[in-house]
Amino acid sequence: MAKPFDELRERLLTAGVAPRQVRRYVTELSEHLVDLTAEESRAGGSRADIASRAVARLGGTDELATAMIAQRKFQSWSARAPWAAFSAVPICLLAAMYFVALFVLWSGWKMFLPGAATPFGHPVRGFEGLYFQFGRTLYYAAPVLAGWAVAWLAVRQRTKMFWPLTGSLLAASVGSMTQVQAGTAIVGGTGHIRINFALASWLQQVSYALLLFMIAAAPYLIWVSTLRKPQRKTSE
Amino acid sequence: MAVRETNPNFMNGVPELLILRLLGQGEMYGYEIVEAIRSQTGAVITVGEGVVYPVLHGLERNGAVRSRRKTVGGRSRIYYLLTASGKRRFAGLQKDWSSLAGAIQLMLTGAPHGKAIR
Repeated sequence: MAKPFDELRERLLTAGVAPRQVRRYVTELSEHLVDLTAEESRAGGSRADIASRAVARLGGTDELATAMIAQRKFQSWSARAPWAAFSAVPICLLAAMYFVALFVLWSGWKMFLPGAATPFGHPVRGFEGLYFQFGRTLYYAAPVLAGWAVAWLAVRQRTKMFWPLTGSLLAASVGSMTQVQAGTAIVGGTGHIRINFALASWLQQVSYALLLFMIAAAPYLIWVSTLRKPQRKTSE
Repeated sequence: MAVRETNPNFMNGVPELLILRLLGQGEMYGYEIVEAIRSQTGAVITVGEGVVYPVLHGLERNGAVRSRRKTVGGRSRIYYLLTASGKRRFAGLQKDWSSLAGAIQLMLTGAPHGKAIR
């Protein structure tokens, strides 16, 4: 059974009102409805009459939604500028995750393989192996994680499907182009780690990007095709 | 009895003015504010009660009111209180509204508001 403010919540989120603002509004309306119901109970009548009078006094969904939507300052930043939100968020997340992954690689190289010309190609076991594996996993998973973060943002704010899919595609495209190089220019030198964005084989690149995109977008597409439909039905 | 709502065209800025006036008397929560508006205006001003919250949130966003969650008598509610900026805003709105009301009264009766009600 739909909760009293489910339809209002969906209307507000779809209109771009910030989720935090929606949550607070619905909380206060619920508390107000409790007070109204208690007041109407004192006036008497059947339970259905009391509930109906209390809801009527609170205001209809249209009226309550319009009052909040009319205040543009309550719009979320992703509703005001989705093009910026859904391109900046995946790229920033990707950059942050790559930074952490490369830091793990660099620090592992310095701690566990001092003097080695490169951190790659050495047999490492136990904690050292786990340490490098964490960085490697984060590096390869970064485009997918960025896509999932964008999808979560879109689900939370009921954003149109175009934006999260574009964000996921952007993260997948950038992710498919990255290459990490590490080595020392001279023997006994300090070494360097570099991340390049390069186009290798066109077909390979596109295939990898599509694979990353499909993994990143799959949970969101499942949500859209299954979970979102019943919510639409309740509001009809 | 069906609740007859006040014509929204005449309500621009009125809820804000009344809320600031009420909060000037002390902190209140949404239901309390609506009840006070209804009783103090003789139920002349009636809107969907839930509509008071977007107004309160807007005032809070502008720094005119502050809110805090407080438990009283076992019920946890969000209470609103007026800030110094809210007091200044109320003074400005009150002045604007008084001059507007005076002008309308003059137009309708042909006499200043003070004379008209004598």
